[in-house]
Amino acid sequence: MKCEQFLEVLEQQDAVELQDPVRAHLQDCDACRALSADFEAIRTIALQLDVDVAAPAERVWISLRNQLEAEGLIHEPQIAPPGASINVTVRGWWANFQRPAFAGAFLGLLIAAAGTFSYFSNFSQTSVQTQLIPVQEASYVPSADSVFKEEVLTVGSNSIPGLQRQDTAVTDSIRRNLRIVDNFIAVCEKSVREQPDNQMAREYLYGAYQQKAELLATAMNHSMTGGLQ
Amino acid sequence: MKVSFNASFNAKSVRAGALGAIMAGFVLAASPAHADRIEKHFAVQSKPKITVRNSTGRIQVKAWTKSEVMVAWTNASGKAVVETEVAGNRVEVATRMNEDGAPADDTKTDFEITVPVESELSVRTDSGNVTVESVHGDMTFDTVGANLQLTDVDGYMVAKTIDGSLVCTRCSGKLEANSISGNVQMISPTLDSVRVQTSSGNILFDGSFLSRGIYIMKNFSGTIEVHFSPSDSFDVNATSLKGDVINQATFKPDTHGNPRPASKWGQSLFGTMNEGHAKVELSSFSGTIKILKRD
Repeated sequence: MKCEQFLEVLEQQDAVELQDPVRAHLQDCDACRALSADFEAIRTIALQLDVDVAAPAERVWISLRNQLEAEGLIHEPQIAPPGASINVTVRGWWANFQRPAFAGAFLGLLIAAAGTFSYFSNFSQTSVQTQLIPVQEASYVPSADSVFKEEVLTVGSNSIPGLQRQDTAVTDSIRRNLRIVDNFIAVCEKSVREQPDNQMAREYLYGAYQQKAELLATAMNHSMTGGLQ
Repeated sequence: MKVSFNASFNAKSVRAGALGAIMAGFVLAASPAHADRIEKHFAVQSKPKITVRNSTGRIQVKAWTKSEVMVAWTNASGKAVVETEVAGNRVEVATRMNEDGAPADDTKTDFEITVPVESELSVRTDSGNVTVESVHGDMTFDTVGANLQLTDVDGYMVAKTIDGSLVCTRCSGKLEANSISGNVQMISPTLDSVRVQTSSGNILFDGSFLSRGIYIMKNFSGTIEVHFSPSDSFDVNATSLKGDVINQATFKPDTHGNPRPASKWGQSLFGTMNEGHAKVELSSFSGTIKILKRD
């Protein structure tokens, strides 16, 4: 079985017993094994969270894709040379990511990761972290919480391609407000760490995460379209 | 003779042409075509939906009794193109640039729009002020830095800004507003549903709490100020995690809902004024909440 075939099976299988050829491929291919583990982790966490994941706005989706591309984490789909299983995995991951349902689940997971953070007060103490650590170690595919932490929480306006070319008033506004939200996140995180059972602090942290995601989406839209579209 | 006539004719033609060119140049210089005000009229039926998308510039929307939408605009640079689309009761107005990479100043387009009183509005803009007067209908506003001024409007209003402010004067109906650093003011409102959130901005509610109304105001670090009169009837729940709650009202214990334990975090205030017909929830992380008696 080839990686492409495995991906097709992976997309379709839903906690169903894997067939022998699939299992054999999993044993042979590190990349597909890692991808499968990530899928399973996401599925497990989603079930544990037991939340309805609303489909994200189109602009959020486009923005995240562009951010990941800009950071070099993902690339445009390419034909993988034979045997390049890692490339195939990333391509497959991205192809899956582009599917609305999966994207919705993934982005929902990002938000859920924020919620989980706010609930447990510290990523290091969460079951999310516990479950994703082995996946991270075994895979080139970024896990949900690492994407959230690295790509959403740490991104600033300077890393948004094209934003500087826009109306300086708009650019300045976005930059200024990103700083405000980043500051809120830092303050809220500190509060949650100091007072883990403070529900209100957690709600504010969660709200600040959402604001940052929305703000980045707005910034991305402007950088991509040169203004309103 | 013929030659002379031709020469004379040619000379006259040249003089006339030159004069014409000079006059044309004068006219162009005195009143550049691109700064002209352009006006369009669209016949509509009742309750049209008007959508406006403009990068930067002033947008003024007023109401009249005609079944007609009038859109007038001015673009000083002449480099912006305003596209209008009409389909039945839907009118869309959008600004786009003629050339890529044009400076922001060139995109600045000011709009004056007059709509039937009963109209729906949807406005997206980055910067520049947006004013809406006397329109009754649902409205959405999505801006980056544009300030919104709504006066005598009635409907379901949704406003989202990044750092633009919102001033809602004598607004009726329902209001949802979300901003990061913009201020939100509701002056003499008759709103029965308010959901306002801003991170670092201030919130002011200076009006009556209507019976059955729900008023939720939340911020992170700014001030939340609500003014009440002794005849107002509402339940209040005010909490500031790191800031102060300043209260001039006399509340009795809330007899409607479940008894709330005092929060061990921050300052909280729960209580009922008169019969508690309205519900008021005020929440801040580090800002100050003020419940003040109206003058």
